[in-house]
Amino acid sequence: MWLAEQASPGHGASGQNAGSLHFQIERRFLEREGGLGYEGEQTARLSRIAVEDWSSLETTMDIDLNIHMNGGLMVAHSAAEVELLEAKAAREQAMGLSVETIDAAEVQRRAPYLSPDILAANFMAAEGHADARIIAPTFTQAARSAGARIFTGTRITALRKHGGHFSATMESRGPAQAGGSSRPAKTETRRITAAKVLICSGIWSRQLAAMAGLHLPLFPAPLTMNVTQRRDPFLPYLIQHVGRRLSMKQASAGNVLIGGGWPSRMWRNEHEFDFTRPPALVAESLAGNLKAAVETMPGIVDFDLLRSWTGITAVTQDQLPVAGEFPAMPGLFCAAGGSAFTLGPTFARLVSRQILEQDRAEADALLSVASPARFESLNGFMGQ
Amino acid sequence: MHNGSTTDYDALIIGGGPAGQAAAIELANLRLRCAVIDEQARPGGQILRQPPASFEASHWAEEASYRPLKQQLHQFETQSGIDWLGRRSVIGLQSDGTSHSVLISGANGLQQFTAPHVLIAAGCYDLPVAIPGWTLPGAMGAGAMQTLLKAQGILTGERIALAGTHPLMLLIAAQIHAAGGTVAEVAFDQPFTRFAKAMGRNLGTGLRHAGLLAEAGKAMLTLRRAGVPVRFGRKLQGIIGREQVAGAIFAAGATEEQIACDSIGLCYGFLPQSDLLRQAGLAVEWAAPAGGWAARHDDWMQSSTPGLWVAGETTGVAGAPIAREEGRIAGLGIARALERITPEDAAEQAKSSRTVLRKMAGFADLLAGLADPREALTRIQPPETLICRCENVSAAAIGDVLRETQDANAIKRITRCGMGACQGRSCEHALLRMIARETGQSVGQQPGFTARFPARPVSIGDLLEHDLQ
Amino acid sequence: MTRRSDIMHRPAPVKIELDGEPVEAYPGESLTAVLAAVRHSQSRIDDAGKPRGFWCNMGTCSECFVWLMDDEAGGGRARSVRACLLDVVAGMRVHTGRAQPDA
Repeated sequence: MWLAEQASPGHGASGQNAGSLHFQIERRFLEREGGLGYEGEQTARLSRIAVEDWSSLETTMDIDLNIHMNGGLMVAHSAAEVELLEAKAAREQAMGLSVETIDAAEVQRRAPYLSPDILAANFMAAEGHADARIIAPTFTQAARSAGARIFTGTRITALRKHGGHFSATMESRGPAQAGGSSRPAKTETRRITAAKVLICSGIWSRQLAAMAGLHLPLFPAPLTMNVTQRRDPFLPYLIQHVGRRLSMKQASAGNVLIGGGWPSRMWRNEHEFDFTRPPALVAESLAGNLKAAVETMPGIVDFDLLRSWTGITAVTQDQLPVAGEFPAMPGLFCAAGGSAFTLGPTFARLVSRQILEQDRAEADALLSVASPARFESLNGFMGQ
Repeated sequence: MHNGSTTDYDALIIGGGPAGQAAAIELANLRLRCAVIDEQARPGGQILRQPPASFEASHWAEEASYRPLKQQLHQFETQSGIDWLGRRSVIGLQSDGTSHSVLISGANGLQQFTAPHVLIAAGCYDLPVAIPGWTLPGAMGAGAMQTLLKAQGILTGERIALAGTHPLMLLIAAQIHAAGGTVAEVAFDQPFTRFAKAMGRNLGTGLRHAGLLAEAGKAMLTLRRAGVPVRFGRKLQGIIGREQVAGAIFAAGATEEQIACDSIGLCYGFLPQSDLLRQAGLAVEWAAPAGGWAARHDDWMQSSTPGLWVAGETTGVAGAPIAREEGRIAGLGIARALERITPEDAAEQAKSSRTVLRKMAGFADLLAGLADPREALTRIQPPETLICRCENVSAAAIGDVLRETQDANAIKRITRCGMGACQGRSCEHALLRMIARETGQSVGQQPGFTARFPARPVSIGDLLEHDLQ
Repeated sequence: MTRRSDIMHRPAPVKIELDGEPVEAYPGESLTAVLAAVRHSQSRIDDAGKPRGFWCNMGTCSECFVWLMDDEAGGGRARSVRACLLDVVAGMRVHTGRAQPDA
């Protein structure tokens, strides 16, 4: 098993997202088509598996990942939002997700720092957060210990399938280290062949699929995150809002992370988006995100904002993630698309089973909603 | 909210030191409106840090080298057409091509200004030297020690030591002595032969009589006469003490020597203030030998982004006389871009400044060479040394990760080094040196942290009360 | 004594409150000067329990953040400010340390 990473593990969205472990149906799905969309329901199905995966991750991998699953509150400020919460909870319960609706008094009892204007909340005990900044590096260590060869600072410059196998060209630059010992001083090019290839490169996945001659319609979603100065622990929950773009949690170090999907602005070249520069902060997003935070948790008005940052996640047009094998090119797999932090370990486990042909049918069924097969209509045009 | 969002200014100047003042004076002379923003309450920069208006200093900045700077300061303070925005921090700088917006935080909340031209003349700060004990109360940048004395009349201890590589130490020690303080020792890391050689090479040039070096020479004599030990080849190993500084340990050859002091100023050089440059995406380069990121610029001090200008230590630490001329040229450059002055007139008026810059270039190089801290800074820190002061990250913790990755942002994510309130200003330099040591490259070949908004922590309440649009 | 009166003439002293204790200081004086005079330049205790000094005295190092209590300009809130950029006013209340103190 060889793994190529163009920068360092966690350099992209996996290290820059705010680390929510959110399993309730997301606001972005609820606001579509005026109600509970099919897509939200389908990702909730994956969420049910992800809850188990995250709960057992530290034990099965025998490492500390700063995972906190103390519960998550999705709050509502208006009667219409409360209705949405109730309908959502009913749907989630039907799908086997343990979600309860609590009233304003109960919200205050559990989280007295939340606004008295909050009318109700959905509570899900399994939600929480993990430390996004250490997950990828820690997984990398574990993979290396298990025998994988890791190449950081290494880009794939060519990828194609010949007959029954793939060939790829890898370019390692600068001081990046190969394997764990030798360290190429300058650019070093390697040709490798493999029976199977997994593309899990976030927004860059689209380009890698294109190298192989396939469409992988992923689009950049440049987002904004904020972090406050450290405070003593007070917030055990993940806080989200059913009607506003908001996620809040307190990291192990004490900082409060504030996100929720507020846009930032991509830099552009003459012909395309520039993924190499961090997107520019948008003042309206910063203000909107902080306003939602203060309206939900008034005391945070006194906190100092330490840093706002931006990162690029990848979404599909139907907002469902992509995980599985391309029917148009057997042996080529993908794991990318939205919610890939929360769903990442689950994708990793299930796609690995597909790759290794272990209980494949079950893995196929569980991932069917995310399968790249839905791009066959596009890839049918692509001659190989 | 005190929302001063206006486009009334032709130019905004960040920094009220010699460079910012010079630019403002040029602009005001040409009847262009500018505002000067500074974290200090009164203009002057660090070099002429003024006492509070309610204080009255005697013998303030008396040395001869301050004289032209004091004249300029007086002119700046009495010139009409310049708005002084003191006690305010610039937390954001963004550019949309034709206008640039500056977000400012002060005691009354936020203000946003936009202007067609912004000059960043933000100066420099004491090079943070990560050695054991540098976080103890009483240990500080030599600049901090000097500004406390100069602007507040404060001696930071009963027995004060200075250690480093920069000749400015001699001036500070002489000022401490003149104020009635006791200087335990002035300890130069480099051998005296480095001084002698550099002076010898420049015997005929007159450089050794210029500005700071002449003052340093005088100060050395004063200190010697007063019996203050000024020693060379003293390699500071660490600062000791439990609750506060109690002493310093030097290596001299194979032996170690401990001296007693209750305060120590570290003086290994200065780094350009670069967070706004990098936040705005301006081209920067590593400023050898002391380090830090300096802005690139053209002949008129315009940065890589049209309309954003740079002057003074922001372009590389070279001292106040050079900063002042650069500020003047930037002011003329802005007026030229605004067509308030013809290119011919601008060129004519800039001539005298360019002549000074040419003459001073040799002096700046000489000083940089004399003060070169690199040998001292490449010494390996003991593993317990704190590299990141904000997040308590030790050299050992970074060393563990360095074998895995040599990317500053990755190291930041994994160790939290650079994640704190200072946005990496205190640790990036030491971290980049550790990275260079690991990769065998020279420092600055690897990029530093990605600069993020806000340049200074700001309360969420302030951000919300202000209309951020 | 670390405040020199021969080189700096100060106005009459006033009382401020530092961590709940009355302290004498001078109007306009910076709070780092006060910390230098009465706390031997200690600005905080770090997470490992170690005393810390400020580094730069010029707004850059972020070692000297303190809480300015019931700040009028901040609408009566406690504000986190850098001591080196804070000027002494009679009666002001300042707390050192990371945790926001109760009003």
